[in-house]
This record gives sequence, structure tokens and C-alpha cells, in this order.
Amino acid sequence: MVIDPIHYQGVAAILFAIGLAAVLSRRNLFVALMGIELMLNAVNLSFLAFARMHVGTASLTGQIVPLFTIAIAAAEACVGLAMVICIFRQRDSVDSDAYASMKE
Amino acid sequence: MLGSLDAIIGPLYFWAFSLVAVCCALGVLTTRHPLHGAVCLIGVLLAMAGLYALLGSPYVAVLQVLVYAGAIMVLMVFVLMVLNQARDDHTPRFDLLSIAGLLLPLGVASVSVNVLAGANALHGPAQGGALEGSVANLAPRLFDTTAAGPGYYLLFELIGVLLLVAIVAAVLLAKRSLAGEPSVTKTEDAAHGH
Repeated sequence: MVIDPIHYQGVAAILFAIGLAAVLSRRNLFVALMGIELMLNAVNLSFLAFARMHVGTASLTGQIVPLFTIAIAAAEACVGLAMVICIFRQRDSVDSDAYASMKE
Repeated sequence: MLGSLDAIIGPLYFWAFSLVAVCCALGVLTTRHPLHGAVCLIGVLLAMAGLYALLGSPYVAVLQVLVYAGAIMVLMVFVLMVLNQARDDHTPRFDLLSIAGLLLPLGVASVSVNVLAGANALHGPAQGGALEGSVANLAPRLFDTTAAGPGYYLLFELIGVLLLVAIVAAVLLAKRSLAGEPSVTKTEDAAHGH
């Protein structure tokens, strides 16, 4: 059986959905952060699979964008984890339900 | 002979990597301890590096292993271990509201797969003219500083500034004495001094 671009896109869509589910439904902040990483990776896979369908230098564009995505993911993880540490000191919890002070 | 062997092994690798990636992603979603989730996420990232290599992007695959599965996940596991109470036993993983929240990802996945299945260009093998994402091919494009070029080098410089800003922000956020309690650290220093 031959692997077409549609197969890669299907895998990317499934991984993106799982990451979105982790962000929306899990209440542990770390799992939510991991869901964000999962979504970023799914988009990278989609980029690379689309890059495969183009010819010449156009195919390089789709392979350069994931490099920037990875760098931005590093910055995001850095700031996100620092924020989790900062809030954890005040609330003593990583449950996102504990961070509802704007609701009160 | 070699060609036919390739035709068997290529799809085999694809299905193996995809299976590992999706199973580990489900592990991230359902695990109770975030540290297990982090290990599952490393599995996802390594499997996706394999998929990137299969797609003809060896440079992105290597960076995925070095930066993502290496640096970022080490940072995450380190923070998980520093905050030792990260395990939440007392709260249920999913409640009624979050089960309702699962509807949106299901909708997103089904809609996108539907749209993709309708796109004719995605069926059938890709055209053969794509350049391999090796350093020799990527570097001249990425650092093309001519006025007619794509200008990725400017983005590259901006990413450097962004990373610096993120590091400074993280240090300021995680620093204990900056926000409210300078007197505490002063007395601690005094105590250490004497």
C-alpha cells in the first residue's frame, strides 16, 4: 500500500485533536502545556507533508517554517513553566480549578 | 528488487511511527501522573521525528530530537520534579464539563478529515520535484540576504530576540524575591551572613 499525503494529514489531524482535548479537558496545568506542545507538533507535521507536495524552492518554505515553530515552542515552554512555578507558589496547586480568582 | 523492498518498508515505517505517536498521545491525554505524560510526550516527539525523516526533512527531524525531545522536555521534566506535588490524586481527571469539552476536538478532527478527504490533490503520490530538507538545501534559502530573497534571515534574528526576551521573562517570573517579599530574602541573607 502506498502512503499518500492524505495519510500524513490524517495523522496530523488526529494528533491535533488529541492535543486540543488535553488542553480543554485536563485540569492539571502540566498536561495542558503538553497538549499545546502536541498541537504545535501536529501543525509541523502538516507543514512538512504539504511541503512534500510542492516542487523546487517552494518545497523548502514548508520545511523552514517548522524550524521557527520549534524555536517559538521553546520560548513558550520557558515562559509557561515559569508562570506555573510562579502561581504554584501562591496557590500550592497545579489544578487549574484553583486559579479561579478572577471569577470571584 | 530494491525498489519493491522500499515499497514495503516505507509504509511499514509510516504505520509504525504513526501508531506509536497516536498511542503515546492518548497516553498524554489519559495519564494521571504528569511525569508519565511527559515520558509519553517524549515518545510522541521521537516518533514524529521519524515521520519527518520519512517525509524527506532530515534536518527538521534532527532538530526535533535535539531541541524538542531533548531540551524542552528536559526543562519540563525538571520543573515537574522541582514541583513535587504535581501529582493530583484528589481531583478527577475528567468531570462532566470536560467531557463536554471533548466534543470540540472530535468536531475539529472530523471536519478537517472530511475536508482533506475531499481535496483531490492529496490523493495519489506526491510529485517528485520536492527538494530534500538537508542543510545544503535549507541554509542558502534560510540565509538568503538578497533583496529579492524571501527574507527568512530577518525572522531568524527576531527569533533570537524573542528567545532572549522569553528567558528574561522566565527569570523575572520565577524569581522569588522580586514581587512582594524583599525583606524576607534580606533577613535570610543576614542570617546566612552571621
